[in-house]
Amino acid sequence: MQESQFRIPKLPFTLKPRTIVLIIIAIVALVIVGGSFFVVDQTQEAVVLRLGKFNRTLGPGLHWKMPLGLEKNYNVPTQVIQNMSFGFRTESAGVNTVYSKLDYSEESTMLTGDLNIVDVQWTIQYRITDARAWLFHVDNQQKTVRDISQSVINMLVGDRAILEVMGEQRSTIEFQGQEEMNKIFNSYGLGLTVTTVKLRNIVPPSGAVKDAFEDVNRATQDMNRLINEGKEAFNKEIPKARGEAEQIIEQAKGYASERVNRSTGDVARFKDVLTQYNAEPDTTRTRLYYEMVESVFQNKTGEDLIDKNFTNFIPLMNLENKKPATPTAAVQGGN
Amino acid sequence: MKKVVVTLVIIGVVLILFLSLGPFYVLNEGQQAVVIRFGEIVASTNKAGLHLKSPAVDNVVTYSHKILSWDGDPSLIPTMENQFIWVDATARWRIADPVMFYGRLTTMTQAYSRLDDIIESTIKTVISRSPLREAVRSTNIINDRPGAAVPTDTAQGQDLEGIQELASLTTTQAKQPDVAKGRRALSNEMLAAAKALTPEFGIELIDIVIRQIRYSDELTESVYNRMVAERNQIAQASRSYGEGRKQRWLGQMENEKRAILSEAYATSEELRGQADAKAAQIYSAAYRQSPRFFEFWRAMESYRKTLPQFNKTLSTDMDYFRFLYSATGR
Repeated sequence: MQESQFRIPKLPFTLKPRTIVLIIIAIVALVIVGGSFFVVDQTQEAVVLRLGKFNRTLGPGLHWKMPLGLEKNYNVPTQVIQNMSFGFRTESAGVNTVYSKLDYSEESTMLTGDLNIVDVQWTIQYRITDARAWLFHVDNQQKTVRDISQSVINMLVGDRAILEVMGEQRSTIEFQGQEEMNKIFNSYGLGLTVTTVKLRNIVPPSGAVKDAFEDVNRATQDMNRLINEGKEAFNKEIPKARGEAEQIIEQAKGYASERVNRSTGDVARFKDVLTQYNAEPDTTRTRLYYEMVESVFQNKTGEDLIDKNFTNFIPLMNLENKKPATPTAAVQGGN
Repeated sequence: MKKVVVTLVIIGVVLILFLSLGPFYVLNEGQQAVVIRFGEIVASTNKAGLHLKSPAVDNVVTYSHKILSWDGDPSLIPTMENQFIWVDATARWRIADPVMFYGRLTTMTQAYSRLDDIIESTIKTVISRSPLREAVRSTNIINDRPGAAVPTDTAQGQDLEGIQELASLTTTQAKQPDVAKGRRALSNEMLAAAKALTPEFGIELIDIVIRQIRYSDELTESVYNRMVAERNQIAQASRSYGEGRKQRWLGQMENEKRAILSEAYATSEELRGQADAKAAQIYSAAYRQSPRFFEFWRAMESYRKTLPQFNKTLSTDMDYFRFLYSATGR
């Protein structure tokens, strides 16, 4: 104290020992009191114990507690939704979330109700709803949450067939899982609420089994392809055949019209000629005969004419040029 | 001034001395304590707060009053069918009677090793006398939704009959045997058996839950093989079904094609026949008027048509040549 007087001689007041003791006490008191302020974040709630006994719960803001360890505060993040994943881990979340390459199959491998093996990955989200209960009712809270979550999902998966788990029952498992977990956590008084259970990947064990499952999907595609091929062939042929059928019928109709029309025409001509014939039978008949012969022979040259008395005539014909299909006849005129 | 300092120091020293002898102890929330004096338990409490004890002679041992976890190693247990499975269970317990706990176990390590013995052996007992399905399933709801081997949406656009046919091909053991008790009941059985043994240690067991059941490695292999075979069977059925449907379409195509064309043939022949009949009727109605002239007329018409095709050698015998040798005719 003497030293300080020497060192700072220009102080406008003198420091007596009494004053110095008071200052020290004041500083100590200030440090103790100042150190007993604490901040509770917006996301948190603070539980204050006085001499180990629960005293009060505080919301966000600046608070004071009794110093010297008489009161202790525990800040609990009650507003934050917390995540827990099973069967996989997120290494770094971000725009491109990176998942850990490690194998967590000891969490995800399960037996289904039809005694098959399936790999289930899931996440749960939860929020601490009762800070006091969370702190003091259950030891090792995180592990308890993990254990129960695993047990519940295992049980629900174990109650269903593998395809149901992979397919339609997915959302039922999520829903029932959440309900069941909350029920158990409430019975422990854990002070926590599970807000979401989300099943992530539900896949058959990798390797041959997975390949076999994928092959079923491929087989389904194959099946539909084959069926469509059958339909394609059907659709290719049948409309064409319908057209062909119509063509056949149309042709027949054409034939029918032609036949009837021709006959009508033939008959009309016959009738007309018959009228003439009835009027003049002999000359008409003769005329018609000559007309016929003329029309048959007038444009041809080279026919042989043989006298009727040449009884043993063998016609000298150019046999080499004769086509076999052409009918040959020695026309014998009758009376 | 000096007096004040001296007094303060003396008070401080005395206070520290007094406190160091420990007339108080603080019990936090979630803790309980037993007070031991010369090896003898004189008090126990689970009330948080400041408590008095005799300085120097009393020793306070605190335990947790929270719910504690027990987590055993997975153990390989044969089921009733003698299939080996890994059973991984956890339990929750608490120290219900700290006095008893101190007397019988004293430390947490002791407690855990005792719990290991009790819980693991009850798990083994219960699992090994139950069939596997009892440990895996809790209810029989699996049988409420049978025959979902083929997701119905895969047989897109197919008729109902087809879907049923395919489903009947691919469904494997649609009905599972019912479980009599189920996993939940087995857990309760374990709990009941283990719970009976723990009160003498001052421990209360709250629950035992099966966290996970897995097949042993050898069993896993054969289950994989079974699953693969089952999937192959279904894949095969789908492919063969598709092949069958294709053949059916092809057959139907053949059938309809023939039906369509033959029907057309029938119709066309009928039309032709009708026309022929009508023509015949028309002809005969006319020709009937003079059969004699018809014969002649028809002959003329026919010669006109057919004769030009013959190679002809004419004989003068023909009526046509009647006037060839004589102006007056033959």
